[in-house]
Amino acid sequence: MAKKLFQIFGPILFAAILLVVLLFSPFKLSHITAKTERKAATALSPNVLKGQVIKEAALNHQNFVPFFGSSEFSRFDFAHPSVLAAKYQRKYTPFLMGNPGTQSLTHYFQMQLITKQLENRKAVFVISPQWFVKKGTRKDAFSFYYSPLQATTWLLNRNGHTKQDRYAAQRLLEMPAGNANHTIKLALKRVANGQSITSHQRNTLTFKQRLLQHEDQLFSSLKMKNNQRKIAQAESELPQKYQLSHLDQLAIKQGKKQTSNNRFEIDNRFYQKRLQKKEKRFKNFEKNWSYVQSPEFSDFELVLNQFARTHTNVMFVIPPVNQKWSDYTGLSPKMMRQFDQKIRYQLQSQGFTNICDLSDKGNVPYFMQDTIHLGWRGWLAVDQKLDPFLTTKQSTPTYHIKNQFYTKSWQDQVHVNK
Amino acid sequence: MLSFTPYENPTYFGILAIALLPIVIGLLCKKRFHWYETIISIFFLVLTFGGPKLTQGYALIAYLIYEVVLVWLYTSYRKHKNQTSIFVGAVILAIIPLVIVKLTPAIQNGQQSLIGFLGISYLTFKAVQTIMESRDGVLKAFNPWFFLQFLVFFPTISSGPIDRYRRFKKDYDHVPDTDKYLQLLQKGVHNIFMGFVYKYMLAYLFGTLLLPKLQQQALSAHGLSWSLVGVMYVYSMYLFFDFAGYSLFAVGTSYFMGIETPINFNAPFKSHNIKEFWNRWHMTLSFWFRDYIYMRLVFFFMKHKVFKSPKTTANITYIINMTIMGFWHGVTWYYVTYGILHGIALVVNDWWLRYKKKHQKQIPHNKFTEIFAVFVTFNFVCFTFLLFSGFLNTMLLAK
Repeated sequence: MAKKLFQIFGPILFAAILLVVLLFSPFKLSHITAKTERKAATALSPNVLKGQVIKEAALNHQNFVPFFGSSEFSRFDFAHPSVLAAKYQRKYTPFLMGNPGTQSLTHYFQMQLITKQLENRKAVFVISPQWFVKKGTRKDAFSFYYSPLQATTWLLNRNGHTKQDRYAAQRLLEMPAGNANHTIKLALKRVANGQSITSHQRNTLTFKQRLLQHEDQLFSSLKMKNNQRKIAQAESELPQKYQLSHLDQLAIKQGKKQTSNNRFEIDNRFYQKRLQKKEKRFKNFEKNWSYVQSPEFSDFELVLNQFARTHTNVMFVIPPVNQKWSDYTGLSPKMMRQFDQKIRYQLQSQGFTNICDLSDKGNVPYFMQDTIHLGWRGWLAVDQKLDPFLTTKQSTPTYHIKNQFYTKSWQDQVHVNK
Repeated sequence: MLSFTPYENPTYFGILAIALLPIVIGLLCKKRFHWYETIISIFFLVLTFGGPKLTQGYALIAYLIYEVVLVWLYTSYRKHKNQTSIFVGAVILAIIPLVIVKLTPAIQNGQQSLIGFLGISYLTFKAVQTIMESRDGVLKAFNPWFFLQFLVFFPTISSGPIDRYRRFKKDYDHVPDTDKYLQLLQKGVHNIFMGFVYKYMLAYLFGTLLLPKLQQQALSAHGLSWSLVGVMYVYSMYLFFDFAGYSLFAVGTSYFMGIETPINFNAPFKSHNIKEFWNRWHMTLSFWFRDYIYMRLVFFFMKHKVFKSPKTTANITYIINMTIMGFWHGVTWYYVTYGILHGIALVVNDWWLRYKKKHQKQIPHNKFTEIFAVFVTFNFVCFTFLLFSGFLNTMLLAK
């Protein structure tokens, strides 16, 4: 009987032991090659953004520069930062982190996996005014880019009881994703109340972290998009030598060609697919929209706080909206100015002075590719600020983080006292 | 508080393994600890219906009391008398809770009924068949405490397979001999690991990785598209591997407890015709419908000479039988259409088989025609599953 029992259950026991060793061992289970890193830098894959191992491996090399943003990165025209950097063999390669729906809170938590790599580093952060809506980040979008590894790592690295920690924990608890795991939820509740996590929670989370890291190491490089052909295609459109006036001509030419089916200077395909049929519906549709009052301002403060902690020198890009379109939809220019003033105040008053503010360029022809995304001349304008920032030595600014930006009254404040 | 949907994650299987250990050791030592089995059943019921799902838990308790008392009353009555009206009344009372649960979403805009809980259908099937077997006089010794054990047998509580009172009782009262039990253990392990492959690999591949993308594409295509064809096949695969995987877990777990719960799936996509399909797909459900609805309706119609020819009787009963099955899945146009289509298919199938027999000389029968038959059956089934999925409804609403 014993022999028979061993025949039945022996293989299971053996497999279980192997699995436990594999999943909980402290060894790294994968090796990220230079090729994977290059591919990941422009892949814009959610599993790269969510995970740790690939971002960490790439950003360990100084030539990769973290670019945080959202949907604008996926539009690879010839003036896109990744294309320009590749064509003109710049000293830096953008590591793009941003997808439709990635906002400040997503970036704050995904950054937790690369805090070491952000130390004394330069970075680029593209702010979208469209994030700053009344309800703040969408819960489903946040869940999509969230991984428990982010929360686990974040929780294990909390030692102080700062306003930042309490606010972040409380925000995560407002998301379904933050409540999905029992231990994480309880630990978050403690941090939100200004307490440290218990030693039992710490042990559980440490094991969990190891498990999740192994999962990340084993699987996150399996599913990755390849955008390198798109980039090569865009590169081939560029002249051999970088000459601004020449490139500007090219931008106008391409912009004209690719926005020929509408009067808003919106990319033909975008217009055809998303707007043409329901154009009438958009007339004055955005009249009462506001980007001035939003919890996003405090979520954004988390990001700033993180940059301050890791002494990261960041260039912030504030893109405009396509004015031809926003005139049609009735989006208030006054509100947009208020947004610009408010976000600039939040940046500058805390020492974040590298700002590429393009908010008044919405009426420049072919600046935007569609309604809200930077296009041909827009990216060129960004490049004028970005290239010198990334290629020349910069003095690291000193930051003074102010807790007032975590308050509801700041989220709701409309006018900024200058 | 810990709360699980049965077989949902590794933790559940870990707890299951620990809970089963004393039973396995006991059975190897030729002992059955019924008291321990009861405790474990209650423990898993609390895991499934406690904590955040406590309203379901209360509904379950109320339901159990109601059904046990009802079946008890009927079986006691049946010892002395056998009036048809009382029997019909008992059956109606037994299915009323299920009817309410199934009707509520259709009437109240998709809102779930308060008296519903995960697995109410399967418990109702068990209760109704016990009443019917008592009526037939084949079930004589009814024990309410055992009946309760039979109802809440935890491996199969949420989605079957549907066992039978007398078959279950034989296993429950009996300790298998060592050789037989070792065989059961081996089969149990095999089933559970096969279940992992089905549910966590294949159903995940089809249902989580492929299906949402195809659905998205099909939705944006508005109308017929290749993506919709993809949705049809991928959903069918998902449905099979998900449910068959779950059933393998339930059967495997039962084997560990020395109970030979009947299997639910037997390579259904290999079927040559739709009748064979229903002998291979969700078998315990289709056998339940065969024994307690189809056969009984046929007898009823024959006895009262409702239809002249036996063929007509069979055909009409097929359609009634499958339409009821459609309604059981839920009161929506797509479930009911699904049932009716399968009823019609069974009628057509019978007609074709008769026709083929008559014209044996003219109609060829060889490997190719067999492959063709499997192909046709498979595609018909997949098409009806597309209906069943409700995705066509989603597409209609999205327009």
